[in-house]
Amino acid sequence: MLIVLASLLYGAGPVSAAQAFSALTGDGTSDATFVVTELRLPRTLIAMTTGLALGLAGALLQSMTRNPLAEPGLLGVSAGSGFAVALAILLGATTTTLTTLVAQAGALAGCALVIATTRVQGLGNDPVRLILAGATMTGLLLALTSMMMLMDQRAADEIRFWITGSVAGKPLAILKATLPSIVLALTLIVLVARPLAAMALGEKAALGLGHHPGRIRFLITITVALLVGSATALAGPLIFVGLVVPFIARAFSGPDIRKTLWLCVPVGPAVVLGADVISRLVAAPAEMPLGVVTALIGAPVLLTIVRSGRMPSL
Amino acid sequence: MPDSRNLLVNAILSVLALFLVVLSLSTGTVQVSLPDTLKALSGNADPMTLFVVNELRLSRVMAGLLSGAALAIAGCLMQTLARNRLATPGIIGIDNAATAFAVASVVGAGLSVAPSAMALAGAAAATAIAFGLAGANGTRGYRFIVAGVGIGAIAGAVTQVMLSRVAIDAANAAYPWTVGSLNARSEHSVTILGLGLAIGCLALIATSRALNTLQFSDAVAIALGTRLKATRILGLGLSVMLTGLAVSVCGPVGLIALLAPEFARMLCRPGKMPLMAAALTGAAFMVIADLIGRTLFAPLEIPVGIITAIVGSPYLLWILLRPSPRSLT
Amino acid sequence: MSHTTTATLAAEHITLAHGQFTVAENLSIRLPPEKVTAIVGPNGCGKSTLLNGLARIHKPRSGSVLLDGKDIHRLPSKDVARKLALLPQDNSAPEGLTVADLVRFGRQPHQGWMKQWSVEDQQAFEAAIRAADVSDLSERALDTLSGGQRQRAWIAMAVAQQTPLLLLDEPTSALDLGHQIEVFELIRTLSQQGKTIAMVVHDLASACRYADHMIAMKAGEVIEEGAPAHIVSPELVRELYGVQCDLIPDPSTGSPLLVNVRRCT
Repeated sequence: MLIVLASLLYGAGPVSAAQAFSALTGDGTSDATFVVTELRLPRTLIAMTTGLALGLAGALLQSMTRNPLAEPGLLGVSAGSGFAVALAILLGATTTTLTTLVAQAGALAGCALVIATTRVQGLGNDPVRLILAGATMTGLLLALTSMMMLMDQRAADEIRFWITGSVAGKPLAILKATLPSIVLALTLIVLVARPLAAMALGEKAALGLGHHPGRIRFLITITVALLVGSATALAGPLIFVGLVVPFIARAFSGPDIRKTLWLCVPVGPAVVLGADVISRLVAAPAEMPLGVVTALIGAPVLLTIVRSGRMPSL
Repeated sequence: MPDSRNLLVNAILSVLALFLVVLSLSTGTVQVSLPDTLKALSGNADPMTLFVVNELRLSRVMAGLLSGAALAIAGCLMQTLARNRLATPGIIGIDNAATAFAVASVVGAGLSVAPSAMALAGAAAATAIAFGLAGANGTRGYRFIVAGVGIGAIAGAVTQVMLSRVAIDAANAAYPWTVGSLNARSEHSVTILGLGLAIGCLALIATSRALNTLQFSDAVAIALGTRLKATRILGLGLSVMLTGLAVSVCGPVGLIALLAPEFARMLCRPGKMPLMAAALTGAAFMVIADLIGRTLFAPLEIPVGIITAIVGSPYLLWILLRPSPRSLT
Repeated sequence: MSHTTTATLAAEHITLAHGQFTVAENLSIRLPPEKVTAIVGPNGCGKSTLLNGLARIHKPRSGSVLLDGKDIHRLPSKDVARKLALLPQDNSAPEGLTVADLVRFGRQPHQGWMKQWSVEDQQAFEAAIRAADVSDLSERALDTLSGGQRQRAWIAMAVAQQTPLLLLDEPTSALDLGHQIEVFELIRTLSQQGKTIAMVVHDLASACRYADHMIAMKAGEVIEEGAPAHIVSPELVRELYGVQCDLIPDPSTGSPLLVNVRRCT
């Protein structure tokens, strides 16, 4: 809540915190009201939704792959989604709805790839190889994206804005376009949470408890793709959010995935919004790309997880 | 002890690298025939050919040759030190850190330090941090690698911050570094790289026997009389130096450091670090990748880093994902 | 293959620790020359740490390991490697390395800047291959060998070092009975040729049979030391492993044989 307020109150524009507050309560100057409700409110909402989606996606992926480092950004899911969007922009796509769909398709492909990867014999138990495979995928997709940027200078500017990740300057319409997918994903999570908790005991144990591991995995793949695709459509590929949010949530909830997922609901939005506020304040009056801020916050968390010896257990 | 197979492999690779150099010198907007290229190199050709080959192309091809060799040697050393074929400077974040520092020296208004020195400093800093975070395990074990991945991500982000904050001209000047290109080199840093490579090779020849024992477990290396700490520091130092200097010339073309030793290992007799073969392979890779980048979509030029990423990543994925690669860790 | 040189190895008041955790305190032992010494004891008693301490792999916190009366950590590592060879427990080798390549590594301590592969090196190499009986395997890659063959190859590398001292850390762990005997008999032969050998052994019965001298450890302390026939008793077995047993002399060799092993009542 505090961060929501901060996000509305502080920003690069020449609007003081006090002015912003009065705008919120309804009696500010027209300029201030415009800045706060038209510029910052959508931005705040988009950041919150992105955080929610990425946090949940990270928690789901980590639980399913039993790998605390499985993160949409690190594993190349976001890059897949970003690549798809870049391709769409290059081919001339402009409407927000289309972008969302394309991003989700890209995320689905990336996600399927990751899941396939973890199914390879022995790899699911080896976090480092998974991470490296993800880093390689990301590198490959970025290289392809760079190549497209070189081919078409006009598209390049738009793509470059995308691939660093930002929640600024996006219209509320894009939020509307992603809303159905997010609602669908949330419903799926509610359905799948209990079997997923059983999966934590191992596939055979889950089978013994009467669940269908294959079906659960399929549903989770879809859910993660919906979430990451929406998040990428909203804010571009944001690395490390899916790592940081479940990490914080797990610190409070313990190993139970259901509690972790619930905690991701407030933590996710708070993290991305916080990062967005930082990105506005640190470099004021200019802004730092949001993706850069999350990378700077996330990398130390990654190192913390690696340093704490408990890594392979989840 | 003579080793005919390795000698043969190195001879073939040398010929191949030389051929690629000549081919690369002859190819471009102005085509020069192979015989003419050779003539130009020996100094007797018409002024136009002389200019194109010796002035325009030679320095670029030399830069590719040297940086490819340096990256490959650095990769081979790091893999041996970590006893993990995936632990190359690129993956451990050294490339990215060196790039970040080099970019800082290009875009930084007040900074007049040469990119070479800055890249070296970046490489050293990243290694030191990765070491510190890896804790007691040193370069062994997964912590070093994952710590490096994190450092690489931070360095990448910092590079982007710098590029996004400076004027567009400065950003464009530094951009090639961030993807890896032979276009961005300064003659100065190529000379420094050449010197570093020469020093590095001498040091490697002098210590090759001790370095070879690092392929075994620590206990075996010590039992064979290797001064473990000194040898490791030397190997790591050389690896960091070569990476930093190479990055200051060509940017983070990290996959060369992974692919070249891998190829060399396939060709050579197992059991020894194939440093020589790796260096030759790396040089050949770099030259050919640059050649492809220059010619494929000419006049548009694809940076060499993008070519190696597109060619190398699938191979890396294959290494990572093929079932039961026992030798990985 | 005889060694004109002998070397003595002893630990004097050494304290060994892993980080904060002290494994053994104030240990003093010496290896009887030209004999096989077995270090035995329950899991975690510090026997491998002691062996690594003797081999300068693990630096003691205090006290010193003396090789020919000199502190082993002050001697140049290469000089030590010409007197003392070690077969560690963790002996992974690079992929595809052949037996001959591995054994050649054993000559490294005798080579230098100006001294490349010499006639002497070649002779030692061939002798080691013969001694460990790996001539037929010499061009095979290590990772294609059976456990017993691989262990023999590693022993050949240690033999090629031509050291008067040889330390082995659990040379027969993970080997089946046939391969165990193969390795132990090789160790005996080497000892008869004049090497001073120390080995950590898991199996008390094999230690009784193949060692001349036994060091029994428990919780970081040496509780008994001497010839197996003298020191191994039902009481010692009980103290070491917490089991009861009876002992009878082996009908062919006379070394003690454990029978009727059971839980303490």
